[in-house]
Amino acid sequence: MAEIISPGCERGIPGNVEMPLSVERLPNGNTLIADGGDEAGFGSEVVEVDPLGNIVWRYGEGLRFAHSARRLKNGNTLITDTTNNRIIEVTPDKRIVMDSDEWGGGTGRLSDGSHLHYPNEAFELQDGTLLVTDRNNDRCIQVDRNGNLLWSFDRELHHPHNANPLPNGNILVSDSDGNRILEVNRKKEIVWSYGDGSPETLWWPRSAIRLENGNTLITDSKNHRILEVTPAGEVVWKFQTEHVDKFYISFATKEGTFLISCTDGHHQVIEVDRTGNIVWLFRNYRRPAPIYARLTNGFFKEIGPDGVPKHWVLATRLSEGGGKVIWDTNNKPNPCPGLQYDRPGALFLQQSIAVEPGATYRIGAEIKTVDVKGVACLLIDFFDSLGGSLYHVITEMPSGEYFSGTNDWTHDIFEVRVPERATFAELRLFINDSGRVFMRNVMMHKV
Amino acid sequence: MAIDKVISEKRRRQCAKLVDLSKRVIRDAFDRFKHEELAIAWTGGKDSTLTLWIVREVCKERGLPLPKTMMIGEGDEFEEIHEFVQRIKKEWNVPLEICRNEDVLRAANYTLNAIVKVKDLNERNQAELKRIGFEGEEFPFEAESYVGNHLMKTVVFNEFLERNKIKGIFQGIRWDEHPARFNDEYFELKKGEHLVPEHTRIRPILHFTEKDVWDTYAALKIPYCVLYERGYRSLGAKSTTVKTSDLPAWKQDLENTEERVGRRQDKEKAMEKLRKLGYM
Repeated sequence: MAEIISPGCERGIPGNVEMPLSVERLPNGNTLIADGGDEAGFGSEVVEVDPLGNIVWRYGEGLRFAHSARRLKNGNTLITDTTNNRIIEVTPDKRIVMDSDEWGGGTGRLSDGSHLHYPNEAFELQDGTLLVTDRNNDRCIQVDRNGNLLWSFDRELHHPHNANPLPNGNILVSDSDGNRILEVNRKKEIVWSYGDGSPETLWWPRSAIRLENGNTLITDSKNHRILEVTPAGEVVWKFQTEHVDKFYISFATKEGTFLISCTDGHHQVIEVDRTGNIVWLFRNYRRPAPIYARLTNGFFKEIGPDGVPKHWVLATRLSEGGGKVIWDTNNKPNPCPGLQYDRPGALFLQQSIAVEPGATYRIGAEIKTVDVKGVACLLIDFFDSLGGSLYHVITEMPSGEYFSGTNDWTHDIFEVRVPERATFAELRLFINDSGRVFMRNVMMHKV
Repeated sequence: MAIDKVISEKRRRQCAKLVDLSKRVIRDAFDRFKHEELAIAWTGGKDSTLTLWIVREVCKERGLPLPKTMMIGEGDEFEEIHEFVQRIKKEWNVPLEICRNEDVLRAANYTLNAIVKVKDLNERNQAELKRIGFEGEEFPFEAESYVGNHLMKTVVFNEFLERNKIKGIFQGIRWDEHPARFNDEYFELKKGEHLVPEHTRIRPILHFTEKDVWDTYAALKIPYCVLYERGYRSLGAKSTTVKTSDLPAWKQDLENTEERVGRRQDKEKAMEKLRKLGYM
């Protein structure tokens, strides 16, 4: 019998904001939030929230891991629908009036023959054309509403985020994997930059905005902080919370406060003033995944109707649209599950389990891999009471062996001490890049 | 037989300091617990033998016999370890108890990789399997599988504590041997629960690095198992432990390589690969 400590909720409930990404304060005082949805790929939507936290408008039809929503002058909303590789413009009454899938005679192709690949941001420029950050094509581009490519900056960028226009016509873009912020002019010259490429200075920055005082506000995601930097490169203000959180986008309000999206689990948008006080907060989150009293169905005797092992969750949010659960039907006495994956993102099969802070647990399983190009492993993440991961990066998470290539069934055992602030754990089978990984006889107990 | 390594006077003093620190932990344990409630966990490996040696020094100081010493017999041991243990047992007068899960060994017909049927096990072992979440009807007898490890090591350990009413047990664990050990403490109380008696784990040599261990062996002429001379750095079950080099353990690059070498691939390389995936 599965003993559930916390029941979770239905997936994809409208208004349940699982992963706020882009955020902006509208002229009417409301806040527009793009919600990437839950770990299993449900519930991505755009919500407009009033100052009291009421959701006054939402759009979620067909969105997959939408990263950005920007309110246009005409009152419509421009949405970057990331995993669907498209941008759309929707009216207040939720009609789509522009869809990049219609470009190129319905192929979704731009005039240069390319297709958007994992876009994460789109702004409307003064002349009505669009500035799009096309992450997996390592570029930011200007296109018209028919997909004609007018301008492109595709040098120097490594998985960029959040290119945004400046009043002087230049563009501020986060070269996320290059650990830099670049200001680029129309002639494609880098006229300003911050970050020397080292993760100490900036680590995976995902947005930068130019403030009225001429300084630049940067979300230094993996360093879990917001920095304000002068044109000369001096850091004059910093914001960090006691919680570990990979901030995504920041936005400066008219009042001089900053809106910050907390992506990595904390499920909230906060507004902070210059003293670091949180002056407004929006959180409307309930975790869909139940928390089990102990590891449940680790021998995979029960299979759910969706072909996923019962009590386990297939987490596809980071999988860039690929991957699935497969079964090794030759395994005795029961078939055992695995993950098949084919792209550079990440796919997980996971379960949330209650743990005792400070206690040590032993985790063990047998793992088999076939042609894994990247890495596959069993790992465990721990979360604080707001649902934020207690680790900065995946490489810090306790894990068993890292497997690459082809390996026959191998015993994989590791021990982990639960961090003091942990409320629950997520045990995950992980794979990135292409290949297959199987697991069987998964066990976990307190030692 | 002592290690052929020259130890400077300065280094000798450093090692003596490390040993002193361990002795303080042991004296503290002797003050906290009745002597008959204390025990030592010994494997014949370098860390637990060093622990045993230092405990013995404190016993000499206080005119006490060595506490009861337990060793887990998994059924897959190196002959060389066995010989070393027997020799030291005699020389140091170690009150050694070799503990095995006889029930499991019998069910496996004393054969590695034999299939053990859960229903052939006694009630205690069946309850233990339930406790760790084992849901199968059978398993192959392997000491280093999750099930094997639990039945052959953890259960045997807990049964030893229970049988002898042990309240404190010395272990040869070090902070630097594995990242999971970084937060270990000299004294750790394990609360009693179903199938686990309450006890305190005492770890006098936590602060030794692998290099400190070998330098101390050399400086104080402590005997060690011959396998370390032949290139083994960390000793486990015979069928799964491999040599890391042909050089003696103390001549290997202790600071830049892993003590417990992965059997499949270099985890660091894989980590590097993952780090490059910016969006994780």
